[in-house]
Amino acid sequence: MTSEEVIVRIGGAAGEGVQSAGSVVAKSFSRTGLYAMTYNYYQDIVRGGQSWYQVRASHNKVRNQGDGLDVLIALNIDALVRHTNPEINEGGASPLNGIAIFDTALTGFQKYDNIQYCAVPLAEIAGRHSKVSLVKNTVAIGAAMASIGMPFDVVGDVIRDTFGGKGDVAEQNVSAAKEGFEYFNDHFKKLDKKLKFNSNKKYLLGGGEAIGLGAVNGGLKMYIGYPMTPASSALHYISSHAKDFNLFVKVPEDEISAINMAIGANYAGLRAMTGSSGGGFSLMVEALGMAGMLEIPLVVYEAQRSGPSTGLPTKTEQGDLNLVLGASQGDFPRIVLAPRNVYDTFLLTREAMNLAEKYQTPVIVMSDLYLAEHLETVDKFDFNFKIDHGLRAQDNAKNFKRYEYTANGISPRAIPGQAGLMHNEDSDEHSETGDVVSDAETDPKLRIAIMDKRMRKLDTYVKEMPPTDTYMLGDADYAIVQWGSTQGVVEEAVDILRSRGIKAGAVEVNRVFPLNPDIGKLLKNRKKIIVVESNYTGQFNRLLRSEFLVTTSLVKKYDGEAFYPGALAEELEQEIKR
Amino acid sequence: MVTTADFNGTVKPDWCPACGNFAQLSALKIVLPELGIEPHNTVVVSGIGCSSNLPEFIKAYGFHGLHGRALPVASAVKWANPKLTVIAYGGDGDGFFEGTQHFYHTAKRNVDITYIVSDNQIFGLTTGQASPTSEIGFKSKTTPYGNIEETTNPLTFGLAAGATFVARGFSGDPKHLQEIIKRGIQHKGFSFIDVMSPCVTFNKLNTYDYFRKRVYKYEAKDLTDFAAAYKVSEEWGDRIPIGIFYEKSARSYIDMDPVAGNASMMEIETVKLSEKSVEEFL
Repeated sequence: MTSEEVIVRIGGAAGEGVQSAGSVVAKSFSRTGLYAMTYNYYQDIVRGGQSWYQVRASHNKVRNQGDGLDVLIALNIDALVRHTNPEINEGGASPLNGIAIFDTALTGFQKYDNIQYCAVPLAEIAGRHSKVSLVKNTVAIGAAMASIGMPFDVVGDVIRDTFGGKGDVAEQNVSAAKEGFEYFNDHFKKLDKKLKFNSNKKYLLGGGEAIGLGAVNGGLKMYIGYPMTPASSALHYISSHAKDFNLFVKVPEDEISAINMAIGANYAGLRAMTGSSGGGFSLMVEALGMAGMLEIPLVVYEAQRSGPSTGLPTKTEQGDLNLVLGASQGDFPRIVLAPRNVYDTFLLTREAMNLAEKYQTPVIVMSDLYLAEHLETVDKFDFNFKIDHGLRAQDNAKNFKRYEYTANGISPRAIPGQAGLMHNEDSDEHSETGDVVSDAETDPKLRIAIMDKRMRKLDTYVKEMPPTDTYMLGDADYAIVQWGSTQGVVEEAVDILRSRGIKAGAVEVNRVFPLNPDIGKLLKNRKKIIVVESNYTGQFNRLLRSEFLVTTSLVKKYDGEAFYPGALAEELEQEIKR
Repeated sequence: MVTTADFNGTVKPDWCPACGNFAQLSALKIVLPELGIEPHNTVVVSGIGCSSNLPEFIKAYGFHGLHGRALPVASAVKWANPKLTVIAYGGDGDGFFEGTQHFYHTAKRNVDITYIVSDNQIFGLTTGQASPTSEIGFKSKTTPYGNIEETTNPLTFGLAAGATFVARGFSGDPKHLQEIIKRGIQHKGFSFIDVMSPCVTFNKLNTYDYFRKRVYKYEAKDLTDFAAAYKVSEEWGDRIPIGIFYEKSARSYIDMDPVAGNASMMEIETVKLSEKSVEEFL
């Protein structure tokens, strides 16, 4: 780790305010011109257990949660032991090498030489400012911010905003934090870091919010969802902004209803979207195929978590690719996108809204818990976007055929209410006018014609796909292929490998299906192709092999935690040398 | 002026001769123009089953979706564009087996659509298996020793769920059926009409004769009397009531929505995002 970046971790039990303390720390960085990213390690419980929240901040773009740990706020003895002991491995997270901040009441733990132990009378200070015991967290935040040399005014303002402005509660927290801040400065030595703080605030938001913003920028009018971690962060953001963004938001009886509603609204000409995690998406499968068959635009947000079944509800994984690629019976055109970071989530979600309507078919935006729930800084939003409603028939159009056989596969749509364009949209196989061909007589030629027409839409899309992104790939001997949320960690691993003289580069896939044929060229003449992904069987690896007939190897992780750059670089190096 | 001929579809119905569904189809084609509703403002959404083929046979905007899932599609079409007249149509297997949860919640939400169930007390399209409304003892391909599961009463279920219009029709009395369907479409809120619609091929018990001997026209003294409606809904056996059992006025779901309650979602402005929209993240 360079002296221009810092990693702060807050450890405690669920219900002890770990996450809210973490977001105050993160916001303090994003408001002082630093890039930041957070990582939330938590369990599927509301109280108890062990959770922690990490914030990495730097002058340079922060691409993942990072290795190393400079400042630890331990809210209980277990957290203090857990995050200082090099023997305990929290899914790859580093033990502390720096400053530990904790209440003076915590005693009797093993000490390590590389740690400055800063016992602060957190509860005692908190008690002077408020009767609420959680205020001790605010005192600890004050001390932690002092340890990295942040100006107090920034921290104070963030705390004020967090506690709702200028009320008594907010001011009590600010004064408590200030005393913690001063206590640290009076008693302990600061970290040796060269962080420069400035007033260029950055945006700090998560992948769930980026889904909402992207969808709204892409013309969203209706969101129908059902709560399920980690898709709920998008649902919550969208619900709480329904009035601001003119949205109709509904949680119906189940995910089956949710997707059928979203299909109904899109059929009626209103941009609607649904979303869930793997379990809910599994329930949506039948209707997904109907949207493909009826050629109704549909965007589905699929936020992966560790499976199978209920799995690890609060842990990350990229294990739903096979599900998404194979969802629903028969063949129909589908587009699968997998954003790689928060801003990419914003861009791809709004693009998905247009793609769905242009190609009149389901578009699935795949995220995962890591991307949906961590916060990341964004410099600037470009909201300039043109909504494309695709091919629509004019009222009373002569010879209107809803599923007209066209060269590009795209047929004119008609929206209920349009005069003279009445027709039937049918989940049974149908002719170009929409009449069912399976009941009275089955016509093999007609079946081929309509099937080809639908599938041609994908050929058209492939021709219009933008080139695949790469990182340091030009002279690379080793091509590391990643998809979705692992972009940042793979880039940093490539940097580490390069620093060791290994010419590695990355292919960064966010358009997972269909795959851009240009990937085949990018993979040519490499000494090795290594796929990195978080699942057991290497689902993307199989797709890549079958599409491009390449020999690959796989670096995988399925412990529920994210990849860490150092460990990933080690694994890649071993794979390269094998 | 809009006429029945305007609703004539180009595809000939593939139902068995004398199937009850013909009565429901012609009722729609007669009643919709009587109400001045034009084909292009009519959406007929169905599930899967013999009856659910209806959207193919009527000139309107048809949506022939998935087994049991007509109601969520129909709800969203109405929410998206309240100017449309939305009819959901399907069978007893479709609505009271696979679609039960949608039936319950759509009724409770009082979505302003008309839900007509062609109730033949059997699965017809799959060639004759017991359905949720099959009578106890009913023999079918899947109940060769007689049906032992309690028969679903769609009317009491609809009432309990909160439907604001509950009625029963009979395909063998088309005039009466037309009147009920007309009132159902006029009703603002969720109208549920269970139509006893004999399956002439697979149900040899609940035939036209069976119903003709039993049905009588029920006239409610007070349509808002829930207890009376529930009581008459429970009547089944030698005497089977048909008619409108319950109607009350209530706000529909969309009217109470903080956004869609004030303006049609189709016409509401698309918000232009700006720096102000993301200020909360600074």
